[in-house]
Amino acid sequence: MIRHLIKLIWNKKRSHTLLIVEILASFLVLFGVMSLVTYNMGNYLKPIGFEYEKIWTINFSSNQDTTDVAGKMNLLYRKVAGYNEVESATRMSGNSPFSFSNSNTGISYKKTHTMSDIYNTDEHFAKTLGLNLIQGKWYGREDRVAKNTPVVINRATRDALFGTENPVGKVFDSENEDKWRIVGVVDYFKGKGEYTADKPAIFVLMDGKSGWEKTILAKVKPGTDANFEAKMIRELGAMAKDWTVEVTYMSDQRVNQHNFSLVPMIIFLIISVFLLINVAMGLFGILNLNIARRREEIGVRRALGATEGSIKSQFVGEMWVIAAFGIFIGLLFAVQFPIMSIFDLDPVIYIIAILLSVFIIFLIVTLCSYYPSRQAAKIQPAMALHEE
Amino acid sequence: MIKLTNIEKVYRTSTIETLALNNINIDIKKGDFVSIMGPSGCGKSTLLNVMGLLDEPSSGSVEIGGQQVGKYRDKELAHLRNQKIGFIFQSFHLINDLSVIDNVEIPLLYRPSTNKSRRDAAREALEKVGLSNRMKHFPTQLSGGQKQRVAIARAIVGNPEIILADEPTGNLDSAMGNEILNILLQLNAEGSTIIMVTHDESMAKKTHRLIRLFDGSQVS
Repeated sequence: MIRHLIKLIWNKKRSHTLLIVEILASFLVLFGVMSLVTYNMGNYLKPIGFEYEKIWTINFSSNQDTTDVAGKMNLLYRKVAGYNEVESATRMSGNSPFSFSNSNTGISYKKTHTMSDIYNTDEHFAKTLGLNLIQGKWYGREDRVAKNTPVVINRATRDALFGTENPVGKVFDSENEDKWRIVGVVDYFKGKGEYTADKPAIFVLMDGKSGWEKTILAKVKPGTDANFEAKMIRELGAMAKDWTVEVTYMSDQRVNQHNFSLVPMIIFLIISVFLLINVAMGLFGILNLNIARRREEIGVRRALGATEGSIKSQFVGEMWVIAAFGIFIGLLFAVQFPIMSIFDLDPVIYIIAILLSVFIIFLIVTLCSYYPSRQAAKIQPAMALHEE
Repeated sequence: MIKLTNIEKVYRTSTIETLALNNINIDIKKGDFVSIMGPSGCGKSTLLNVMGLLDEPSSGSVEIGGQQVGKYRDKELAHLRNQKIGFIFQSFHLINDLSVIDNVEIPLLYRPSTNKSRRDAAREALEKVGLSNRMKHFPTQLSGGQKQRVAIARAIVGNPEIILADEPTGNLDSAMGNEILNILLQLNAEGSTIIMVTHDESMAKKTHRLIRLFDGSQVS
């Protein structure tokens, strides 16, 4: 029967061209959306790797002040860390978690090279953000005197650079510094939120002399309110005159980052829903027209032994064949993505997206063709043949 | 082979009731070639549809090959039509989007069969009606006589015991009509039971038996 249906559709492919093109377009857009959804969901299912509740991001801007910025930052840090309401505080570069600032560098070990996000932090970073150390230790004050700059890497960097080897104690090259020595490995670290990939990351022990690290992350005690925030800003502002002090809750920054990831996905989703509605309407139209035009054929088939069920299956089957034509052309494009590693994503993401898109298209085609096909099956053969 | 007892068929609308068949009693034996005649609108096609299980009588019983079909459901009726009955229509009713051989294969699609067995059976049926050289053609490329021969091939491809022909020569000139009648006579000689609706007295005379209808009633 499938062969018969393919022949039937193939022989009148011209009249179905528009629908095939619509299905092709819907498949391609759906494939894009599903790739995005699969990618984001795959990321979301992995732990973010750090705590963000009750953590305040305090950004300082020295504006025109260039005098002893590093010294002033040290004083500001000590002030923040000294508050009773603050459980723990850490200093870091401006690319703090959930910020829209990035910093990365190329790193290499032996002949393996990768790109990695780079964070300048201090010895309190792991404790403040509750990072999960899986190998070695977080660097401490004593490591400042080491010959090579101590760094902690995350699992993704370890996997990319060292594979199954234990990286602790190993020294590797970076683009912007001669040698870095690994003292520990943390588990996951998705600095830009749950929907982003767990990319390679390196935490470099800052020297505290440059004044570049003008962000303080403070973990406050439960129950700490806006009164303390106002008091802190006032006091910090008094210490660093002409500087700008800005406090943001990390949980709010997280929502902003989520929106940044989700909005494009939602826009594409809306476009594909519109396209699918188009396909659904096209299917309804074509089927209703088909049934009106093909009453004679329905009558003949019933006379020759088709049951109501076979007529229903035939019309649903024909729509499946039309959908399969559109999807087949779409697949020729879609499979290029995993084959050519476009956007450097895991091929599995594309394969899942292809399967989901095919499933959704066939589901819509089935739903849209079921009712008209049932109507076709109800046509009385004697009536249909008599009308001709 | 086909036994109709006290068949009545009434078409009802909200305002009008039409008696299409009235107290029809017919017993057709295996191997018979029966023609049905009567003026237009006298119920010939309705009677053929009732015999072919395409229409349900309002009352009375239909027996096909010894089986009472009154309580049969759609699936069983379709099975019976597929296995025991072949239809030939005045306006051929071929599917223009399918080639000749694909049209002939249609009845076999509704029974368990392989592609090869369907193809072989269709080819054989087309050879029987002398159209084996037109298998790949489409119906729109054929003459009326050729189309009717394709319809006959489609009717006989599943080896049905009964062939119901509704004015098979009605759309053909006399030469073509005779050609079609000869094929039907040949099929009857080979054992098929044939019931043919016709307006042509000379054709009816060539059959074994003639049933005349007038205003839905059997007059002979």
